[in-house]
Amino acid sequence: MRVEYINPFVESAYNVLKEVLNSEVNRGDLYLKSTSMPVLGVAAVVGLAGDVEGRVLFDMTKETAINIAAAMLEGMDLEKPTELDDMGKATITELANMITGQSVTKLHNLGFQFDLTPPAIFTGENMEVSDTGVEALIVPMEIPQGKIEINVAIRERS
Amino acid sequence: MAGESRFTSIAGTIAQAQRDAEREDERRQDEHIDFKMVTFSLGGKDYAVDIMKVKEIAKFGNFTYVPNTMHFVRGVYNLRGEIISVIDLRQMFGVPVPDEEKAQESGLIVRVDDHLLGVVVDSIDRVVGISSSEIQPPHPIFADVNIRYISGVVEHEGRLYILLDVERIFTREDGRADGSGLESHGAPGMRGGAGAAGAAGAAGASGTQAATGKQAAGDAAPSAGPAPDASGAGQSSAGAAGADRQAGAVARGASGPGRPQSAAADTDVSFIGEALAAFNAFHPSPINADWVARRFEEWKAERSRAGKEIQLRTEEDAAAFVHPFFSPYTEAFWGEDYLERVARTLPDDDALPGNLNVWNPGCGKGYETYSLAVLLRKTYPEKRIKIWASDIDLLSISTAPNLVFPAASVPEYYREYLVEGTNGFSFAEEIKELILFEYHDVLHENTVPEAGVILSRDLLSMLPQEAQHRVTADFSEKLGPGGIAIPGAQEALDALSGWRSVGGAVNAYTTVGPSSRSTT
Repeated sequence: MRVEYINPFVESAYNVLKEVLNSEVNRGDLYLKSTSMPVLGVAAVVGLAGDVEGRVLFDMTKETAINIAAAMLEGMDLEKPTELDDMGKATITELANMITGQSVTKLHNLGFQFDLTPPAIFTGENMEVSDTGVEALIVPMEIPQGKIEINVAIRERS
Repeated sequence: MAGESRFTSIAGTIAQAQRDAEREDERRQDEHIDFKMVTFSLGGKDYAVDIMKVKEIAKFGNFTYVPNTMHFVRGVYNLRGEIISVIDLRQMFGVPVPDEEKAQESGLIVRVDDHLLGVVVDSIDRVVGISSSEIQPPHPIFADVNIRYISGVVEHEGRLYILLDVERIFTREDGRADGSGLESHGAPGMRGGAGAAGAAGAAGASGTQAATGKQAAGDAAPSAGPAPDASGAGQSSAGAAGADRQAGAVARGASGPGRPQSAAADTDVSFIGEALAAFNAFHPSPINADWVARRFEEWKAERSRAGKEIQLRTEEDAAAFVHPFFSPYTEAFWGEDYLERVARTLPDDDALPGNLNVWNPGCGKGYETYSLAVLLRKTYPEKRIKIWASDIDLLSISTAPNLVFPAASVPEYYREYLVEGTNGFSFAEEIKELILFEYHDVLHENTVPEAGVILSRDLLSMLPQEAQHRVTADFSEKLGPGGIAIPGAQEALDALSGWRSVGGAVNAYTTVGPSSRSTT
């Protein structure tokens, strides 16, 4: 993972989470992961293509997802979900979009140009993501609602 | 060409080319034509493939990029409803690629078993009919393309065609044809796929802890040698400043020849080795066995003089033991003496075909990367140079792209490439643009292309022995023809099979023949 890509993701995740949840956000230590990794239960994926290629995956437990959706919707005076219904999923998707979008804007300002795919959300038990041949940067974020692991796997197009 | 379908198969081209070939045939009626080949050029040289493997000749473009594939995969392409992978032979073989990307690339659609595969080349020439008896065996001199992929050489009308073996290029070594999973076949610079993955996860996780541990230890007290982090495999040579100059001196001054003979002493050495590995500062292996044996003799002498025990009880002991191991100018710009020695060891300009790719895993804060970049720029002024530098220490690697330093710390040699900023000096864009710094664990998949120089000083000995083998196997796969690998001053790659010393002014190695591309 090119060094210049790291900060935009970390900063955007921090800023966006802090803003939308209106609460304390703690960033854990960054690290690298390879090969397959288990998904906690809910995963939102945004693809990137352009000067770089890859994807950003937001991984959290179902409970965390519901809590986050509740917190976000509550802020907008909407009904709080108690399970991960369509509204909840859409909310998580939007969160993924906001964070990735802001990172991409930052990267764009640094001179890297690329596009995003619409976010997709995956839910289920015992899921695993495998992408061989790429290493992912893990940005763990601790929030009162639980833990989100932001899993960034991008690289230069050569 | 500007049709709604971006794919413009030139049916006529083949027909025309075949007519040409047939006229050719008539002129050479005395010969028996039993082999036809499609000829094309790559980096200005003539190549050919058996026409029976070619489905069609095509112009295509606008490939859909597929993330995280090997560097020579251009993407996938919709060939009249069938999705095919498209690879760029120039990238694959390390021949120079023209700077600007063409909207429409020339290429071939080849058939490998049941798969179709798009292949981008510089330009398609024509179809040539020859007698198969004219095909001569390849000569090792054709260094641009790995000799494994050449099935022969054909001379035709004064031109020399290198006949590529499509099956061997695009087929996995286990015999299965492979359209999409190019990453795991035997292409130059590819690793064997499986096996690499397993241990990488665990090592990656622990390496991370090492990185964070070093943030505290290594940087706060650089003179204390490498941070002896007990929690993970420290991959970086960070934090070893000050260890450098003594390293050479101690090694030269060492008198003890080889390993101690007595069984008791052997036990002690292996005990020390286990302790080092446990503190994770250093992993004894065949690569550094000679140094460990020599150092152990010194250590015994030092410790008995100081009235201390020989066993390594603490991290400090382990750090003190390993201290002299580090190569000259660790965590500092290379001095002119060392630059000069490296320069003398580097291969001649014409021994390195095409662009010069450099792989520098474990680059730390980037001092050695910049040193090498300046040296290479001066040594090979005409070449296109690209350096892939990586480290697992996040803090070190983060500072590398924008390294700022006081001018006083830089030898005169670098001056012409420095620019002054508000906080000190940094390197000019001209040098920076040669280097790509990555936060990367060398135990994960390494996607760097074939390299002419691999610089990996003191990295291997910081990895567990099993990981050392995997990384050196990767080195041997990625090292291009005529290239050299420069490990640490005390690391002997020729302790592994498949490597030999180049006998240069610094400790450097090359691989022994394409047939023995494996390590113990």
